[in-house]
Amino acid sequence: MDAAVNLRPLRIALIGVPNCGKTALFNRLTGSRQKVANYPGVTVERREGERAAADGRTQQVLDLPGTYSLKPTTLDEAITRDVLLGRVAGAPAPELVVCVVDAVHLPIGLRLALEVKSLGLPMVLALNRMDVAKRRNVKIDVARLSAELGVPVLPTIAVRRGGADALIEALEPVHWLQHRSIAAPAWSEPSADDAEQRQRDLRGVLEAVGYRAPAENQWFERLDAVLLNPFSGLLILIAVLFVMFQAVFSWAVAPMDLIKEGMAVFGAWTAAHLPEGQVASLLVNGVIGGAGAVLVFLPQIVILFLFILALEDSGYLPRAAYLLDRLMGGVGLSGRAFIPLLSSFACAIPGIMAARTIPSWRDRLTTIMIAPLMTCSARLPVYTLLIGALIPAKSIGVFNLQGVVMFVLYVAGIVAAVAVAYVLKHFSGARSYSPLMLELPDYQWPHLGNLLLGLWERVKIFLSRVGGIILALMIVLWFLSSYPAPPPDATGPAIQYSFAGSLGQLLEYVFAPIGFNWQISIALVPGLAAREVAVSALGTVYSMSAAGNDVSGQLSPVIASTWSLATACSLLAWYVFAPQCLSTLAVVKRETNSWRYPIIMAAYLFALAYVASFITYRAVAAWA
Amino acid sequence: MIQQAIVAAAVIAAFAASVWKLMPAKRRLRTLLALDGWAAKHPALTRWRERSLKPRITRAAGTGCAGCAATVGTRPHHPPR
Repeated sequence: MDAAVNLRPLRIALIGVPNCGKTALFNRLTGSRQKVANYPGVTVERREGERAAADGRTQQVLDLPGTYSLKPTTLDEAITRDVLLGRVAGAPAPELVVCVVDAVHLPIGLRLALEVKSLGLPMVLALNRMDVAKRRNVKIDVARLSAELGVPVLPTIAVRRGGADALIEALEPVHWLQHRSIAAPAWSEPSADDAEQRQRDLRGVLEAVGYRAPAENQWFERLDAVLLNPFSGLLILIAVLFVMFQAVFSWAVAPMDLIKEGMAVFGAWTAAHLPEGQVASLLVNGVIGGAGAVLVFLPQIVILFLFILALEDSGYLPRAAYLLDRLMGGVGLSGRAFIPLLSSFACAIPGIMAARTIPSWRDRLTTIMIAPLMTCSARLPVYTLLIGALIPAKSIGVFNLQGVVMFVLYVAGIVAAVAVAYVLKHFSGARSYSPLMLELPDYQWPHLGNLLLGLWERVKIFLSRVGGIILALMIVLWFLSSYPAPPPDATGPAIQYSFAGSLGQLLEYVFAPIGFNWQISIALVPGLAAREVAVSALGTVYSMSAAGNDVSGQLSPVIASTWSLATACSLLAWYVFAPQCLSTLAVVKRETNSWRYPIIMAAYLFALAYVASFITYRAVAAWA
Repeated sequence: MIQQAIVAAAVIAAFAASVWKLMPAKRRLRTLLALDGWAAKHPALTRWRERSLKPRITRAAGTGCAGCAATVGTRPHHPPR
């Protein structure tokens, strides 16, 4: 055998139908922490991880997007087929395939396993979710299944520690290395006869292993009757979202106050212990006043994701997708757009990537174009800052007014997305509708470990942004706000005479009609890198404007005393629409393989933002 | 004078970090590869680059997050004409 082949890491691919537990198994095998959720379509591209075999060799584990067949209908399924067949440049076909099959729904996974086996690659079958199968009285003769298929079959429980030990042992090269082939597997699109034969084979195997389908769960049926009902289901969905945004405001007050106080004390302590000069100004106004201002919003992000992760894990979200399918179809959106749009509430980037699961190019493009209108978590600090500063914290009945405003902003994003989708569909002339085909997962209590892991990942992402790009941009902004020094006869704050001040005053001509002052205009520029940077930028700019007084953690009162309600509402309207995120535009370029679409997206979203802010500013100014 | 030097160093480092972070992952990888020859002369730098920086960027490129615009090794996804 070729020496080079022996030296490179052994490649192991995980393949299976959507939502059978591939990623949970991948995490178990590699020690990774990739996102796992209780609905199909979470993985839309291959992921790679490594593990060390007992003989010291490195094994490269590939987690592939879920697919029902090797004949792809969507881009994510095409990735799976291409990786498996070694058609990806620079990445040969895997030496071993681990076919993950959900034991509860054996037939659907087994059909794919039979197809993969026909490729002739060494294969191991991981019979996953064996704990649930046992609970639901599913009968499978594992030894017979192994004999029928002619491959090792190993029961696994991917979400349980030690639940994949037998599989890990089977992955040791000593068990399979002698069977590997260095030639790429051959595959041709199956004919109708092939498909029929495979179906016959499947029935034969199922009969031989004594498979008995799971008993229907009475509770699941009762829950579905309520949650999938077009009337009660929709009411419950609205209530769930409403409670979520109420909680984001009311539960976060105490920890936010604590962080705010901490930042203020730290800022004062730093100012008191450093000699007056540029270093002190950089630390107090640039670092603490800027990066610290956005750190305050960590508790709200944790609460928002606690809800999202719990809903994901419980199996409720695909039901919400089913519920909204008809509504979405009415405005020309594919039912498959729900999961990508839902992902966009966390961040538009994974949402845009998840649109790969939509087979129709037009539907996919529409989904990509409206994904940034979903309110991502980066908007949360901006919304919270402005709402907290200008909306009184009073109650309307049992509801918190600030929470109600937040809910309205989220709804505004959804309504705008629906309207844009309708317009796009109208202008594209396309009238076809691709219905949602979604396997509804079982209900389950959210897994505490998954929740904590998911929250920890979000906290890490947020903190690394604060300590990374936000901190770096704030130091640059501090420099631009401090130099050149003001002339000796200056009367206003120093920042007015700086580079940033000059830029802000120039931009003010553009933004004055929508009520933005020069401080806001400055903040919008670094805010293009990421939305929450604008909050830090406002922190730095107002810190500098206050001639050395530390305003970190106290941005809210400064805004409340210097901005009008019309200006704040106008800025909120701006953030509902404006594409203040370069990363999103870059991903659109990649996903569409063209500059045309990100340019169109940026142009229409900025235009929408300007018009919405103009109308809001004028309307509120006239009313107030 | 010392204060000015510290501030200048911090601002230059922050500017470089901002540009680096805002670059797509694919371009960051290309930049790293372009610096191969220079980095080879500095063993500590090479170790840090290979153990920490490169895997991080590759991971970012692979997952499409953190401002990346490339999946290393996968073919681009062309829309149908």
